[in-house]
Amino acid sequence: MKQANRLALLGLLTALAFALSYLEHILPLQLPIPGFKLGLANIITVFALYELNLRDTSLILLVRCFLSALLFGGPTSFLFSITGGALAVVCMFLLRNNRHLSVYGVSMAGACAHNAGQVLAAMLVMRTPGIASYLLFLWPISIPTGALTALVFSLCSRAFRRAFRRTQI
Amino acid sequence: MVSNPRAGDLVVVVFILAATAFLAIGLRWSSGTDGSVAVITKNGEVVRRVDLLSQSTYDTIQLGGQYDLTIEAEPGRIRFSHADCPDQVCVNTGWISMPGRTAACVPAGVLIRIEGSGDDGVDAVAR
Repeated sequence: MKQANRLALLGLLTALAFALSYLEHILPLQLPIPGFKLGLANIITVFALYELNLRDTSLILLVRCFLSALLFGGPTSFLFSITGGALAVVCMFLLRNNRHLSVYGVSMAGACAHNAGQVLAAMLVMRTPGIASYLLFLWPISIPTGALTALVFSLCSRAFRRAFRRTQI
Repeated sequence: MVSNPRAGDLVVVVFILAATAFLAIGLRWSSGTDGSVAVITKNGEVVRRVDLLSQSTYDTIQLGGQYDLTIEAEPGRIRFSHADCPDQVCVNTGWISMPGRTAACVPAGVLIRIEGSGDDGVDAVAR
């Protein structure tokens, strides 16, 4: 892939991830479980992990979290989203090449790691080990949300590959 | 590489559920008996201690401030009943009563925490 094209692609994916995270913000949540998020922006992270390399994936994640925190949230929200996202990326990167796992398994593990990372950050910031109890419902929830992310990714992947072939990025 | 789930995915699901179960057991094992005192802190400083055991009636605590928080205390339990924060996570947490449990309004920096006899609870955090 040419350098200019790669840069444009990264920019596009970052904007997309950011837009998805904004969408989540304005969408009213039907399940009022604390900390419940669909994790739509993670679709981009999974996508980047499978189609690009680790460095580009991390870059998109970093910029997306920074933009999100800048526009809505603050330093705390940046800390929480980056710790969750970073742990998820590391976990998924390690599992990505496993023969026994498809995107679904990798994405669910990523979602689980994401929640673990966020709760860990919250535990450190608030100095309360009791916050770990949030994981008791966040972790089971990560199973369907992780699977959903993988589903959307696999649907997009086919279309992306088709476009790849046609335009020769 | 894409589309179809594989055998290993189920292992991931089982692993996550097992981790949840272990965490549940671990938390129950490490916390003490009945939650007796709820400590309300703002940015790490204790603003109020509520003795949930001696609560005989329903009590309302107004914290005001930037997000106008209202906390309700009943015998044995406590919660954020109203907040003006954008995410409402604190209010949606609902009632907490078990030792070690917390409800937090992160934007306001307010934390309600139930102390327990098995815990190494902190009374104040100096920063």
